[in-house]
Amino acid sequence: MTRIKQFFNSFFFYRFIRDPVAIGSFIVLAVLFISGFGAPVIAPHNPYDTTTIDIMDSELPPFWYPDSDSRFLLGTDSQGRDMLSTMLYGMRVSIFIGLGAVTLQAFLGITIGLIAGYKGGRFEAFLMRVADVQLSFSTYMVAIFFGALFQAAFGMGLYENFAIPMLIFIIGFAEWPQYARTVRASVLGEKKKEYVEAARVIGLPSRRIMWNHILPNTLTPVLVISTVQVANAIMSEAALSFIGLGMPVTRPSLGSLIKAGFDFIFSGSWWITLFPGIMLVILILSINLLGDWLRDFLNPKLYKG
Amino acid sequence: MKKMMILFLAAALLFPFSAGAKTLRLAMDADPVSLDPHVQLSGGMLQYSHLVFDPLVRWTKDTKIEPRLAEKWERMDDLTMRFYLRKGVKFHSGNELTAKDVAWTLARLKRSGDFKGLFEPFADPVIIDDYTIDIKTKKPYGLLLNMCTYIFPMDSKFYTGTDKKGHPKDTIVKTEWSFANENESGTGKYVVAEREQGQKWVLKAFPDYWDKNTGNVDEIILTPISEDATRVAALLAGDVDFIMPVPPQDFDRIEKADGIKLITMTGSRIITFQINQKRREEFKNAKVRQAMVYAVNNAGIVKKIMKGRAGVAAQNSPRGYQGHNPALQPRFDLAKARQLMKEAGYEKGFTVSMIAPNNRYVNDEKIAVATAAMLSKIGIKVDLKTMPKAQYWDQFDAQVADIQMIGWHSDTEDSANFYEFLYMCPNKETGYGQYNSGNYCNKRVDELTLASQSETNVEKRMAMLQEVEKILYDDAAFIPFHWQMLSWAGSDKLKNANDIINVMNFPYFGDLIMK
Repeated sequence: MTRIKQFFNSFFFYRFIRDPVAIGSFIVLAVLFISGFGAPVIAPHNPYDTTTIDIMDSELPPFWYPDSDSRFLLGTDSQGRDMLSTMLYGMRVSIFIGLGAVTLQAFLGITIGLIAGYKGGRFEAFLMRVADVQLSFSTYMVAIFFGALFQAAFGMGLYENFAIPMLIFIIGFAEWPQYARTVRASVLGEKKKEYVEAARVIGLPSRRIMWNHILPNTLTPVLVISTVQVANAIMSEAALSFIGLGMPVTRPSLGSLIKAGFDFIFSGSWWITLFPGIMLVILILSINLLGDWLRDFLNPKLYKG
Repeated sequence: MKKMMILFLAAALLFPFSAGAKTLRLAMDADPVSLDPHVQLSGGMLQYSHLVFDPLVRWTKDTKIEPRLAEKWERMDDLTMRFYLRKGVKFHSGNELTAKDVAWTLARLKRSGDFKGLFEPFADPVIIDDYTIDIKTKKPYGLLLNMCTYIFPMDSKFYTGTDKKGHPKDTIVKTEWSFANENESGTGKYVVAEREQGQKWVLKAFPDYWDKNTGNVDEIILTPISEDATRVAALLAGDVDFIMPVPPQDFDRIEKADGIKLITMTGSRIITFQINQKRREEFKNAKVRQAMVYAVNNAGIVKKIMKGRAGVAAQNSPRGYQGHNPALQPRFDLAKARQLMKEAGYEKGFTVSMIAPNNRYVNDEKIAVATAAMLSKIGIKVDLKTMPKAQYWDQFDAQVADIQMIGWHSDTEDSANFYEFLYMCPNKETGYGQYNSGNYCNKRVDELTLASQSETNVEKRMAMLQEVEKILYDDAAFIPFHWQMLSWAGSDKLKNANDIINVMNFPYFGDLIMK
């Protein structure tokens, strides 16, 4: 109880409550998260359960058209899946993969970047060259490699069940150098500063200096790239799904839904790609706005009075 | 060649306007790779052959055989067919067509890497006189006449001798320079006047063409446009008069446009799923396979996913093929499918894997997703993976999944080709069943298919092939979907565009009449 009270009295909350953009994007994001993760309860249909889909319901328009079907509020896609439900389920997958991949990237990148920056010398050179090698492999190559490995080891059937953890691992593993480089650069800037020297003088172990003293001061750029990387991860997932290495086509994510709908945009069935597109834009925009606000809050130089 | 061209150009300069010159501007996705018709066995090269050469016989729109350079033919015995050649047919070089040219061309076909497989059953022909030739096969061969549609006689005198590099003029070379790749002398209606590979071709009508009863196009300008949208845009803007192929997503746009006609025709490429009996115990049970066929609403897929632009199939052979069995109808019946699953003892269902390409056939991925949904209704849960064709065929050959998609077009325009490659027991030595990833194996199918190869009586052969089709249908050897559509589009200036197209996708531009 005191914790919560403490939070409401904090400066963080004080600043948050006075910024309408932050509140707005937080509310939107909260609604999207709740509806995404609550999809099995909220969504009128279960599009991942293929037994309920009928091809004869395909490409029905949204409710305001005369030939729409009352069962499908926002129309159906080319397979006869309810758009609204598929979007909610797809968003859940996208958020899951986006956050999961970024968490993994951040964990790997921050650890490696911090150690490399702080230790310096040969160790640093080695770690950063590893990062360069990793960067030279595109995400798709990593995905093809692990996808093939996984399939050879466990067969195709199992792949479908493990698609989400696999994608989190692939996207997270392929892009950690982004974090490592950013963190290392900031660490290099911080480690010569007086407070680090002071901490060293009083004899604190380097682990503690790294994690408790330097890391908090390098988090600003990390938070900024995190918001970009969530969006990137969601898009990587869409691209991987297209080349057959992402989510199974019977369980579309938001990204693959947009891609699938793109074929129909000129033939009149615009809703298949537009609705999930709008949803993705809102999702990413609110994450970015919130990230922006967080950066401003964390950066004392940007205090606006 | 050069001399002839000058003569020809002079003639063209003198007469063009008196006859009211008609120019057809044609855009294709790619231009022919060479002037030598034996370099490659492909749709594009055969389309070219029909412009610049003439076959002995050719297919009509309703898949009958009609005489071209051969006026008539008769079967002498099980191994021999006698052809009577048209008299007074001139090659572009001025030489006259004789039986010797036909024999020479056949010998060259047997040397061509791409064609020799198709002409393997042929023995050396016997020349009776200048205008009569006996074409012989090693064993009785039912498709002799079909194969004669691939014999485009070449000018043996013109192609004999050595070229400037010292190689024989008739050498078949795929990529480098060769005499035959750069020069042509056929009997066809058009002479290649100008050619910039990949840019532009100009074909002019041959003044001495034997067939006076043809179309009125004097000049064809062929431009390859590989980008789908650009090709359609060129037609809509009036830059070209005829395009092939037409991307399906633009069908509606072209149909609505003024002054442009869309021509579609059910083709002969069948789309199917093969059910692998070697990987899955369940699929050995014919009832399970039948249940799967009954569960798939392929008419619904044609209506909704293909937008009606395909022919609903229940068998391999399209109408017009000898094996087409009119009694076989699509069988979508969910209740029956569930009943069959129950009888087979798989009421609770099971999980299978499925792969399909996502850029090989029209809407291939959407068809696979829809099929997965349909099968789940009888309790068969499908783990589906789709991939680009570059990766797909390796996976297909390795048979990584229980259900795999394949589309097939018969090179010989004959039903037996489907059975030989897709349904005969797989045999590495003979090559039969090479694409039979379902591992379907039925002695009777093998027997009948092999017997049909050497059956020369059409009635008997039809009965055999139709029986095979019936067996495959009853056994549910595969899940049939539809025959893909072929598409062309042309401006209204072309009066009989509908009549020159055919299911082989060899438009006979020689017969085209323009306003």
